[in-house]
Order: sequence, then C-alpha cells, then structure tokens
Amino acid sequence: MKFNLVAAWLLMGVVLIAAAIVAAPGASYSKQDRLLPLAGATIHHWAGTDALGRDRLVRVAAALLLSLGGALAAAAVTTAAAAGVGTLAAFGPRGLGWIALLICDVFLALPWLFLLMMVRSALPLTTSPANSAAITFLVLAALGWPACARAVYRGAVDLKRSEWMLHARAEGLRDGQLIRYVIPSLVPLLLPQFLICIPAFIVAEANLGALGLGVGEPLPSWGGMLLELDNSALLFQTPWVYLPVILLVIVLLLLEAIPAEA
Amino acid sequence: MIGAPLLRVALEAGYAGKPVLRDIRFDLQAGEVLGLVGTSGAGKSTLVLSLLGLLPWRGGRVTGEALLEGQNLLALSERRLRELRGRKIALIPQSPMSALNPAISLQSHFNEAWRAHKNDGSGALAARVDALLAEVQLPSSDEFLHKRPGQISVGQAQRVLIALALLHRPALIIADEPTSALDPVTQTQVVGMLKRLSRLHGAALLYVSHDLVTVLQLGDRIAVLDAGMIVENLAVTEIEQARHPATRALLETLPAPPHVLLSFRDRTAFEFQICNLVEEAVHS
Repeated sequence: MKFNLVAAWLLMGVVLIAAAIVAAPGASYSKQDRLLPLAGATIHHWAGTDALGRDRLVRVAAALLLSLGGALAAAAVTTAAAAGVGTLAAFGPRGLGWIALLICDVFLALPWLFLLMMVRSALPLTTSPANSAAITFLVLAALGWPACARAVYRGAVDLKRSEWMLHARAEGLRDGQLIRYVIPSLVPLLLPQFLICIPAFIVAEANLGALGLGVGEPLPSWGGMLLELDNSALLFQTPWVYLPVILLVIVLLLLEAIPAEA
Repeated sequence: MIGAPLLRVALEAGYAGKPVLRDIRFDLQAGEVLGLVGTSGAGKSTLVLSLLGLLPWRGGRVTGEALLEGQNLLALSERRLRELRGRKIALIPQSPMSALNPAISLQSHFNEAWRAHKNDGSGALAARVDALLAEVQLPSSDEFLHKRPGQISVGQAQRVLIALALLHRPALIIADEPTSALDPVTQTQVVGMLKRLSRLHGAALLYVSHDLVTVLQLGDRIAVLDAGMIVENLAVTEIEQARHPATRALLETLPAPPHVLLSFRDRTAFEFQICNLVEEAVHS
C-alpha cells in the first residue's frame, strides 16, 4: 500500500477515536472538576485535567475535530475561490485577468496578522465562542486564497498555451466546449492546493490561538491549549500537558504525507 | 467561379513587430497536394497558424488575405472563423501526443469535435467514426475508443488526429510536419495514408515539412519557404529546374537525384491506385 494511503487511513482512525471520545456518555469539554485541577492521569481523567479542572483528553479530541473540520471547510472555500479567480484570470478577457491578479497581489501584500488582530478586536466581547471559531476560519480562508489562486493561474496558463488547447481551437470547438475540455486537467491542479491548505490552516489556527486571537473559550482549540504551555511552572507538573502538542504534530505529519503522491 | 483556386494566399505575419513571414503568395487548387518545404525557423508553423486564424493565440499578427473559396479568412470574425475551423479547414498537427487532451478518452475527442459543428444524434457520429477508424487502420472497438491518449502509441495518436481532421470532410487539410515525431516505418505509413485519403476525400492538402523526400513522394506541387518568402513554386516533376539557392540547397540534401525519387513516387502512386480500386470494390 502506498505511504499516502496509509497516512490517510491512520488519520481516519485518529478522527474516529477522537469522535468516540467526544461522543462518549458523560464526556464534556467544559465541565470543571473543581477538586482535581491540573491533575495527572487518573481513572476519571485518562490524560489529566487542565488548570480549570477540565478533562484534557476530551478537550484535545474536541479541539482536533474542531480544528480539522474548520480547516477542511476553510480549505474548500479557499480552493473554490482560487479555482474561480485563477481560471478566470487565465482564460477570461485580458483586462479582467489583470484586475484579478492585481487583487491577488494586494491581498498577498496585506499585513495579515495585523489585520486579524483588527478584525478580532472589532468584534464585540459578547461574540459567542462558536461565532469566534467560524470567524477565525473564515478569515484564514479569506487570507489563504490569493496564494492558491496564483498557483492555479500559473497552471491554467500552461493549460491554455498547451498544444492540445490550440488543437481544440483548430477543430473549431465552441467556448463552452473548451471549458469542458479543460476541466479534467484542472482537477490535478486544485487537489494539491486543497490538501496543502488543510495543515497550513491548522497551524495558522494554533498560532492565532496561542496569541489569544483564535477560537474563544470555553471551546477547545489547539491554540488555546498551547497557551497552557506558557506557564513554565505547569510544564513540570505532569507530562500530559504535552499531549496537545504531540497530537498536533502527528496530525500535521499525516496531513503533510497525504498529498505526497498527488 | 470556375478556375478560381480553392485557396489564394497573399499575407505577411509576425510577432510583436518582428516580421516572420514577409511575402507569402501561393494558390492551392481543389484536391491538389501542395508540399511546402522550408528549413527550421523559416516560418512554417507561423504560416499554418495564420491560415487557421490562430496566430493571435500565440501572440502574433497577420495582415493581407487568405481567400478560401473567395472568402477572406483573415478578415473574418472569430465566430465565423470558428465555424470554418475543423469543418472547412482541418489541421493535422506536428506532435500527435501533445495535440490530444491527456485527460479525456479518444471517444470524447471525437464527441467534442463532432459537436463543434453538428448537433444531430450520436448515431451519425458512431457510423462516421467507425468508417474513419477503418480508413486510418485503427480498431473501432469500444475498448480502443475508451483509451486515453497516454495509452496509445505515437503512430496511433497521429492516425487518430488524421481521423479527427477528416471528420467533417474538410475542403482543405493543413498538415504541419505530421511525421516529424514518428519513426521511419510509421512515417511511411502515415504519408501513404495521407496521400490515399486526400485523394479519396477529394480534399486539398497543404503539406508543410522540412523533409523534401516526403514531399517528392506526396505532392503535386512544391513551394519552398525561405526567410519568410515563397522563393520557389513549381510542379514536383519540374523540381530539377529549380534555380533558387534555397531550393538547390534542399536538393543537395537528397539521398538520390530527384528523378530517381520521383520514379519511386510513380510506383507508390500505382500501388495506391490499386489500393483505391480494391477499396472501392470492397465498399461497393
């Protein structure tokens, strides 16, 4: 079996286990066990609890699902936008393509961290945790598409200039037919973009979360859990505090391994 | 218009201020095979793209006229040109493998080429594809038609492209160095096939090549393209009377004197006639 297939199956396994942990009866990512804050592994909390006495295993599992789901959705939005803009720039009228690429460049030149801080600070404090999660991934998608669109554009220009497109014109194919003619060749261009975006967005969310700009409490997120590691006194309390980091690295490795073949 | 040529060309073309074709003038009669010979860089491919109205897609500009049945191709709108491409003028390209869309099946190639100009049902297309594949000696089985271009040989790909070019019974076929990517055996087969099929379908053939030997086998007339100009234009049988230095240089590359090669041509022509007779007998 190919390496990337193995990675895909392993990832699927991790996701299923995480889903089982979150869905297990009595499991809650926000319920506080006030008697046992910052505990190591116990019979009730297999991976211990955080500073507020919340079950670490459930929180890590929920964070994994939230992060992966959000990154998948954001990657889908980004890829769709990149596909639209990139192919329009390559195949559309020259002026339109020029404007599309200009917009890409402007987006790429934006100081996006600053922008994120602005967006987050502009949100009212009463923003619900679910909304903050949605906004975080939406902003990531909005910032991710220009780089993808550029890559798609470059590939689409190669397709446009290809001998077989020229020959299709020589056969007198209509404009609508030409679009249908080129779509099967766009898929191998878009799939890697989609797969590359997922781990990139997960890391971005984790980094934003660690700055306090990501998903709002009490929703668990990788970024939020990495914040825990800020407290050096805590690092020696129990080795379980490293669980989120280790799992993050494993999931990222698996995600990076999947597009290797594509 | 009796006596008027099928195609009358008088054009200039170039890329971004750099002229490539300076003075191209030639006529092509209906059903005639004109071999256009020139060295690499003489402007052969530019001429092919000019005639198809595709030069703008390669960033070029063309002026002058190319009258096909009295209609100036260079003055037509893109919409009118599209209607002519593939239906009146067909192209057989230089590199068969890169001219087929790698992501779709051979059947889809025929479907798209058919739908570009016809909207009647798939029954007519199936019958036409069957007949054409038999003519280019390819299997017309579903198994073959469902293959992708990457799964067939270069020789097969070139035959598929010949079949595609013949699909709408064009009046003019432009072949742009169609054998340069093929091995000698396949080359000979493809040249023989082109000669036979252009006669069978009564299509005029503009055969563009750097290979004088093939042109002597195939053409009725020969035109020599040198530095963006047609410097020689005469019947193949009169090739030894050519005077222009570019033509003389080409003649010196021949492995045998032209009249020897031309005697082979008559022999192959004779063979083709027999083939045609047999074929007609089979068809009737």
